[in-house]
Amino acid sequence: MKIIKSKGPEIFDIELEKDLLAKNKSLAKGNRKRFDSSNILAIDIMGSIGSGKTSLIKAILRKLRMGRKVAVIAGDLTTTIDAERIETEGARVIQVNTGKECHLDANLIRQAVGKMNLDGVEVLFIENVGNLICPGEFPLGAHKRLVVTSVTEGPYTLMKHPYIFREANIIVLNKIDLAKAMKVNPSRLARDAYRINPQAPFIKANALKGVGIPRILRALGLRS
Amino acid sequence: MHEFSIADEIVKNVIDTARKNGGKKVLSIQLDIGELTHLNGEQVTFWIKELFKDTVAEGAKVKVKTIKASIQCKSCGYKGGMGSDQDSFRHLIPASCPRCNSFQIKIEKGRECILRKIQVLK
Repeated sequence: MKIIKSKGPEIFDIELEKDLLAKNKSLAKGNRKRFDSSNILAIDIMGSIGSGKTSLIKAILRKLRMGRKVAVIAGDLTTTIDAERIETEGARVIQVNTGKECHLDANLIRQAVGKMNLDGVEVLFIENVGNLICPGEFPLGAHKRLVVTSVTEGPYTLMKHPYIFREANIIVLNKIDLAKAMKVNPSRLARDAYRINPQAPFIKANALKGVGIPRILRALGLRS
Repeated sequence: MHEFSIADEIVKNVIDTARKNGGKKVLSIQLDIGELTHLNGEQVTFWIKELFKDTVAEGAKVKVKTIKASIQCKSCGYKGGMGSDQDSFRHLIPASCPRCNSFQIKIEKGRECILRKIQVLK
């Protein structure tokens, strides 16, 4: 911090050069280093409220059958509902309650990781808070970011929330079995996804029935 | 998005800095916001001015400058701006190299929110 005397003896310019958005980025980098040093593949699962993030993680865990070699950080404003649901699949789970914050941030992940025993863990899933707006702006240090939306949200979800879908490495359209009932055309959504993010695989799924899970695993670089 | 909470942090930093340096009144602040941050400069300014009320920074001028995006292409090595002047569309289109259209790019500039300097009266 430099202090420069400006005009007259009483007025000073104080140069701060402080980037307020840098803190999360540097903490995220720190998290990534932590994961890399232990050879842990970290995956940030984002998506709308009720899109099926928890169900998707459960379905993935059932297919992976890696037991305690998988850890999950479940994020929500409040309750331990998600953590309890995931625990039944045999993975190590910790619930992070954000309180007022509408997204997980790198600091919360750093704290959560500090509280967990990650010895022997090969994969870490982070279930973000249900929100298609804020989480995209707060990298956690994960290797891959998956965004899940579902047909029950209607046909305009991707067009209305391009930013988060642009950040995604993988886009999942869940509850595909309900597309007809919802009068939602998955091909149109696939087209929207391609426009916004041509790089990301667009995978149709039915998490409750395990449909689409093998493709998702392949996209994540995991084998069942 | 989160304009209020970042305004809050900025205001805290300004008042803290003024106090630590014996400033009796804050006359102005300079803020540089990257164009890829999705922060609305006008909203941030509005909240800063609101939060400045009843503090040593009440009435201080808030100057905001936009930091243009700058990228490095991993495919062709291009280093520079994003090219297009269509600011209103830039945040909707996936960022690609203006020279070779590759998506394998690294964003060097444009994602910051920098409190550059403040001017105080001692």
